[in-house]
Amino acid sequence: MDRKSVLELFLKRRELVKQHIDSYNDFIENRLQNVITETGELMTDVDLAVRFGKIDVGKAEIIEADGSRRKITPSEARLRNMNYFSPIKLEMGLVKIHEDGTREEKDMEWVVIGQMPTMLRSTRCNLYGLSDEELVRNGEDPLDPGGYFIVNGSERMLVTIEDLAPNKIILEKNKGYTKIEEVAKVFSKRGGFRALTTVQRDREGMISVNFPSVPGDLPLIVVMKALGLETDKEIVDSISNDPEIVQKLLENIEENLDIQTTEDAMEVIGKKVAHGQTREYRLKRAEQVIDRYLLPHLGVEPEDRLRKAYYIGRMVERVFELAFNKRNVDDKDHYANKRLRLAGDLLDDLFRVSFYNLVRDIKYQLERQVARGKEPSIQTAVRRDVLTERIRHALATGNWVGGRTGVSQLLDRTTYMAVVSHLRRVISPLSRSQPHFEARDLHSTQFGKICPTETPEGPNCGLVKNLALSTELSTGADAGELDKVLAELKVTPIHKH
Amino acid sequence: MIATPRKISALKFGLLSPDHIRKISEARIVTADTYDEDGYPFDGGLMDPKLGVVDPGLKCKTCGSRVGDCPGHFGHIEFARPVIHIGYAKLIHKVLRSICRSCSRVTLSDETIEMYKERIKRAKKMGQNLDAVIEDVFRTARAAKKCPHCGEERFDIKFDKPSGYIEDGNRLSPTDVRERLEKIPDSDAEVLGFDPEVSRPEWMVLTVLPVPPVTARPSITLESGERSEDDITHKLVDIIRINQRLSENIEAGAPHLIIEDLWELLQYHVTTYFNNEVAGVPPARHRSGRPLKTLTQRLKGKEGRFRSNLSGKRVNFSARTVISPDPNLDINEVGVPEEIAREMTVAVKVNPRNIEYLRRLVLRGPDNYPGANYVERADGRRISLSRVPDLTEVAEKIEPGWVVHRHLRDGDVVLFNRQPSLHRMSIMAHEVKVLPYKTFRLNLCVCPPYNADFDGDEMNLHVIQGEEAIAEAKVLMRVQEQILSPRFGGPIIGGIHDHITGAYLLTKKDARFTKEEVSRIFYAVGYTGDFPKPTVEDGVEYYTGKQIFSVFLPKDLNLSYKAKICKKCEECEEERCPDDAFVVIKGGELVSGVIDERAFGAFAGELLDRIVKDYGTDEARRFLNTLTRLALFAIMKFGFSTGIDDEDLPSDAKERIDEILDSAEEKVSELIEAYESGILEPLPGRTLEETLEMRIMQTLSEARDKTGAVAGEYLGMKNSAVMMAKIGARGSMLNLTQMAACVGQQAVRGERISRGYVGRTLPHFKRGDIGPKAKGFVRTSYKKGQDPLEYFFHAMGGREGLVDTAVRTSQSGYMQRRLINALQDLKVEYDNTVRGADGRIVDIRYGGDGADPSRTDWGNIVNVKKIVDKVVRNRA
Repeated sequence: MDRKSVLELFLKRRELVKQHIDSYNDFIENRLQNVITETGELMTDVDLAVRFGKIDVGKAEIIEADGSRRKITPSEARLRNMNYFSPIKLEMGLVKIHEDGTREEKDMEWVVIGQMPTMLRSTRCNLYGLSDEELVRNGEDPLDPGGYFIVNGSERMLVTIEDLAPNKIILEKNKGYTKIEEVAKVFSKRGGFRALTTVQRDREGMISVNFPSVPGDLPLIVVMKALGLETDKEIVDSISNDPEIVQKLLENIEENLDIQTTEDAMEVIGKKVAHGQTREYRLKRAEQVIDRYLLPHLGVEPEDRLRKAYYIGRMVERVFELAFNKRNVDDKDHYANKRLRLAGDLLDDLFRVSFYNLVRDIKYQLERQVARGKEPSIQTAVRRDVLTERIRHALATGNWVGGRTGVSQLLDRTTYMAVVSHLRRVISPLSRSQPHFEARDLHSTQFGKICPTETPEGPNCGLVKNLALSTELSTGADAGELDKVLAELKVTPIHKH
Repeated sequence: MIATPRKISALKFGLLSPDHIRKISEARIVTADTYDEDGYPFDGGLMDPKLGVVDPGLKCKTCGSRVGDCPGHFGHIEFARPVIHIGYAKLIHKVLRSICRSCSRVTLSDETIEMYKERIKRAKKMGQNLDAVIEDVFRTARAAKKCPHCGEERFDIKFDKPSGYIEDGNRLSPTDVRERLEKIPDSDAEVLGFDPEVSRPEWMVLTVLPVPPVTARPSITLESGERSEDDITHKLVDIIRINQRLSENIEAGAPHLIIEDLWELLQYHVTTYFNNEVAGVPPARHRSGRPLKTLTQRLKGKEGRFRSNLSGKRVNFSARTVISPDPNLDINEVGVPEEIAREMTVAVKVNPRNIEYLRRLVLRGPDNYPGANYVERADGRRISLSRVPDLTEVAEKIEPGWVVHRHLRDGDVVLFNRQPSLHRMSIMAHEVKVLPYKTFRLNLCVCPPYNADFDGDEMNLHVIQGEEAIAEAKVLMRVQEQILSPRFGGPIIGGIHDHITGAYLLTKKDARFTKEEVSRIFYAVGYTGDFPKPTVEDGVEYYTGKQIFSVFLPKDLNLSYKAKICKKCEECEEERCPDDAFVVIKGGELVSGVIDERAFGAFAGELLDRIVKDYGTDEARRFLNTLTRLALFAIMKFGFSTGIDDEDLPSDAKERIDEILDSAEEKVSELIEAYESGILEPLPGRTLEETLEMRIMQTLSEARDKTGAVAGEYLGMKNSAVMMAKIGARGSMLNLTQMAACVGQQAVRGERISRGYVGRTLPHFKRGDIGPKAKGFVRTSYKKGQDPLEYFFHAMGGREGLVDTAVRTSQSGYMQRRLINALQDLKVEYDNTVRGADGRIVDIRYGGDGADPSRTDWGNIVNVKKIVDKVVRNRA
């Protein structure tokens, strides 16, 4: 086979940084809107609320000192040490809440809430769709791959971060003499929220569940009953029909005979999360915790509890299978268990927090307006610098939300190849000071995905990687679409008998 | 005036008592502000002029000296209420738990106290650590339910981190704590480990705080003219401010609650003043949000005072640049760029015999190379020659008693160093040779001890100041004194690479030279003695290489050993060895054998070893110099090169290699079959799977070795690459095998490659395939090239090596640090014992036999065979 011509064809498309551009476009088109939708409505302490509608990002522009707006080319931004940012417009509408509780919704209006860094060659870039000649006329190298940002005139890129796959069960075994022997972990991710849920088996075969906001561990039976599986049969059915496992499950059930109903279980949880409060509040908190913090990727509504129970059942089954040597621990370095977080994902994290800050600021401004007896106005309540500054600062320094540093880096312009290599770099969040021998190894599953040769020598060896030449990344699919496909294939959802 | 040096006889550590603090204090500090509007410091403020001077031009109000001379003076702050010293919070807790709440006696009976006192006295006499005894006191005293002295009931005292004490639910205030500690009788304090003379327990609760001199916390003036204060000053301001408020409130009779709060706040400020990283205390921050760097932070860690400023000294008279090789230098020499020689100076005292010489140097000044940079008058005043308008004037004035700092010149002794300095040969004394250009030049023979190469390595040079130091360095640290390594008792300095090849080419059996050629060689080496006796064959006179070589051997040297090329035959034919691998030197004449790595290579040289040990280091140095020059001349005369075609194999060799690999793969599949059908016998102590793996690995590695042997057969000693590998000049047969025949099995952590997809390494294989190819056996050679799968497996194996080196360097550096810290003050005393700084014996005799490894024969104290050999051959 003539591989050379295939490769030539591939390189002719010149889409070596397609992943970043695709990811950014997806972020602008879809995920930005999701963030707004998830935020819901802003409630103030005065009789006002704010509705959020559609969000839209315009083409890159600058606001000159005299206030005039104008399209800008990347080369101008570079030369004048300026930002290559696009305006973010959001549909907002005030809602007046009368004393009797009725809502008076004012008209939605478009408000510029700040600026978004524009990725070069993305749909919001002024170079998008230009021919080579036009690019040259705009002071741009037609061979430049794009995929980076311009902040204060310096070219900054977001390096791809390699992360353990979220929403996937990872089995681990504790070495040495520990109380807990086998653990099934899930980094459950919903929107920007990550919740680590673990199911663990101790030496006596007792299963416990651990998830955020509940201190300590909860016995499996408590969690299952809290999730609505009240009878022993229901619990066992949701886990396994392997007699060996069922035997162990029955032992677990016997340990918790004092908990019978869902309410009993909720009471146990309530005592942990809201100790010393009223019973009513305790139960409310327990339900809240179960819905919000236990496996949130399956949903955060009471209807989702059954699915959660079955999901935990699967985790329990795996833990037992591992204990009975019917299954092996999961290889954390297997590339199937890795996800690459691209520019869009990283901006998503950043925007979420920044937007939340903006919303808080709007609330404060509105309340102040009311307190001063002014007519509330959204246009004046939105201080666009709040959002822009936060994003700009993170991008300029590399200090991301969540205390991560070095997320954005100055694009390496040593040579053309240095640029492309840098844009295709993948870094692992593992600490470079610890050995982590296994994580640094070249794993078989990296074949065809990660370059086997290009990794730095020294402390970052094997932790900093580069995508193989012909690797392309997919942006991920919408879960709703998948549900539809499954439904068409006559897959029925879990329901109670 | 230099004060008379005195010997410190002892050091004693104790706590500062409030009285002592007041005594050393020059000013009581009461004002929280530092400077008034006019920029003058407040009296009684933190920048009180009595605390020393930091501004140039001002005089200290206390001692009258100026900046630089005034050491600074302490002040003090009187606390309105006592405060716990956070550094002693834990100890205070221990003490509180061991004493009675009403009478403050240690809750042990008088007899027990006596007993412990006895134990402490004994431990002190033995020079033992008291910790164990005192810990025991705390433990037993704590257990008492009732005070044995006054009968008072006792409660356990809980330590409420960071500085609270709770007794039976009640919080003890620092005042309560101090009261209790005050009441401890001196004799009881001793049992608790205190020396009441210098540290009373109650001094751990502060009533007075010493204020460090301004010299320890200088304020800096920014460009804008604004003053910026040191973090310590900021913290002291906080303390004074709160202290002030506290005393005002107390005087005004403010409610108890407010006073408690302020007291707590004062405690917080004093705590963070001492240590801003106490667990459970939020760090005090600067306005910008940066945590303040307070006392503990100044001392702690890598950037702290100890590791950075006290152990990590910086030096003058040092230079650093890139190194490059120069085979014409003596091994004792180092080539120094003129530019550096002009900058670095040696102090020479003027005396009647050198005054004219030094005058000339002074006259040439700092810019003309052999010149001088400074002169020092008899009264110690320094004159910089670069600032003198007329050098003749200075040159005229110098007289005995003056000191001239002249430029570095040929023959000066300097120390040369390459990091990491892992053994003593990493710093050696060289003689300077001033040369043009900008790199340090060194003889190739000293590369091994420094572990240096020339791919951009840099080295440091230190000019020794002072005659004693120069003399000491010359005796102990000269390169020639370091030829024998104290690690293994053989030479660590010796020929490398082309030296070995050259010597081999010269002393090979068929190497012959005409008289003219020999003349050239002798000229190149600088030999001026007689010619050896030529051999005559068919009427033509010629000299053998061995004859030429022998000229440079000591005339009474007798030695025999097996050369590196020795094939280790079962029966050694000695002198009649077909490969000429048996080296015999009789009466300074090389009778048989070739000269290769085993003769004078670094880490291996037998001949060199003999010469150092029998004829001294100076002779060895001369020998090494001439021998390397000789070898280099030889290699240049014969010419020597290697290239990729040195790995070319004829097609029948390739066929044989293929056959070997095929049959090995065949054998592996047989093993797998045997395993699957259950007839494979497990090795003792191994599971069946482990046995199979081991057998497969073994089969494949044998096969690789066999292919290497085949390749070696076809390549032969005529092949430059093979020659270098065999004589130990560079490379190994394994390298050649991998290049020419077969790369072999790739391994990760000692196992064949196994991680990856379920049941297989790569999706290109079937599940459960455990054949050679599927587990990372690379059957191709580097020359032939690898297929993608082999390439990937090779990258996997290679990655492990990269990670290993990266991780190891950092780990071994840390290990080295700990070893140095543990062993640095061990020393062999005159009674042959090895002792630490405190006189503790670590080893009765050094190494059990008292032997200096560098004087041993590769670690053996005597080598009987060598002595016998020497005697017998001498006679024969």
